[in-house]
Amino acid sequence: MTNITLRIHLDELCLSADISQEAIIEVVEYGIVTPLEGDTLSEWVFDLESAHWIKKAIKLNQQLQIDWLATAMVIELMRKQQQLEKENNLLKVRLSRLL
Amino acid sequence: MEFKDYYKILGVEDDAELKGIKKAYRRLALKFHPDMNPDEGAEEKFKQVAEAYEVLKDDTKRAEYDEMKRYGSRSTKNFEAPPGWQPSGDFGTANSGPSVDYSDFFNSFFASGKEGFRQSGQKETDLFKGQDLEMEVPVFLEESVSGVTKNLEYMVPVFDGRQTQQIKKSLIVKIPQGISDGERIRVKGQGSPGQKAANGKNTLNGDLFLHIRLVPHPLFDVQGINLLLTIPLTPWEAALGTKLEVPTLEGKINLNIPPNSCSGKKLRINGKGLKSKTAQGDLLAILKIDIPPSTTSETKRLWEQLGNVEQYNPRVDWSN
Repeated sequence: MTNITLRIHLDELCLSADISQEAIIEVVEYGIVTPLEGDTLSEWVFDLESAHWIKKAIKLNQQLQIDWLATAMVIELMRKQQQLEKENNLLKVRLSRLL
Repeated sequence: MEFKDYYKILGVEDDAELKGIKKAYRRLALKFHPDMNPDEGAEEKFKQVAEAYEVLKDDTKRAEYDEMKRYGSRSTKNFEAPPGWQPSGDFGTANSGPSVDYSDFFNSFFASGKEGFRQSGQKETDLFKGQDLEMEVPVFLEESVSGVTKNLEYMVPVFDGRQTQQIKKSLIVKIPQGISDGERIRVKGQGSPGQKAANGKNTLNGDLFLHIRLVPHPLFDVQGINLLLTIPLTPWEAALGTKLEVPTLEGKINLNIPPNSCSGKKLRINGKGLKSKTAQGDLLAILKIDIPPSTTSETKRLWEQLGNVEQYNPRVDWSN
């Protein structure tokens, strides 16, 4: 049996995802994610959903060569789109059960 | 291995200036980025474009690539570098973002240190951590309530220094109780194996990230921590009220349907939804009135009798 975790420390995230602390600080400063806990940088811990968006934001920022403000907007729109798709799917299923 | 014509991939001339290369990359990256383009093949195309740009944007790498292109074997399917050719070897250590899976051609000639990430104070020999992997795991609603042990099988890309091979791996993972749709689980060290560092030691493996997908349930829908259940009723059950046995995730319970219940009415059954760490959800039963599919002359007579007795007009608002 393997060990699983539902959260990740800043250092582990940097190492795991091959990204720099500076890039993660930008992602947090632009409000893309908020650390789950930790008052100081060295104590930051993220849930895995946030870790996913951190990786996504840094990828988009670098691969599309867009600035952090644009990255934050893109991520916000992607999250909204995902949320709406999820709601839409649920409503479709609900509708099919009621018809 | 196959030779990659990076200039052709970016659609630029061999003597293109950096500005033109950048422009071509941006245009193609926007067109093929997997977050922008869901078409099949777009991701592969993006990887090729990113790989080409990774080499051509860098003066040193570009010069070495040009040399290889000029003097290497002309066979595109089985490319060999010019005799005695050596990469300068100082590629990629400034990488500060998640890497893209590049081709064997790139990995063989330009990737030394690509997957490495250097933190302050870290030795170069500690670099080359394995790649993280992500996989979707379907989980049944009942399994998410009680927790479940899953036997997962997945492919792990392993780079042997020359080419990448896909190795099948299996793993037993305990999915915790109360997991919800879209949540992620990290299985430490179960991603791609770390590459051999310069000191001969194997370095850290990548992690495996499991993305939980709840399988649609035949009866229940999930809304946050609440469960939704549609209850079909006959018109007379809805009109007169009734007592029904209804399913929950923990077995059947008795439910009173009050008289004069409309279609769409919601009945809340406390504590029969999903559990989160801090709260207990409810079961919301939504009523749906079904008309019998076939009508005999006797039932038709009874409906007509009811229509004559009951002068109810559900479209009364339309006349205003």
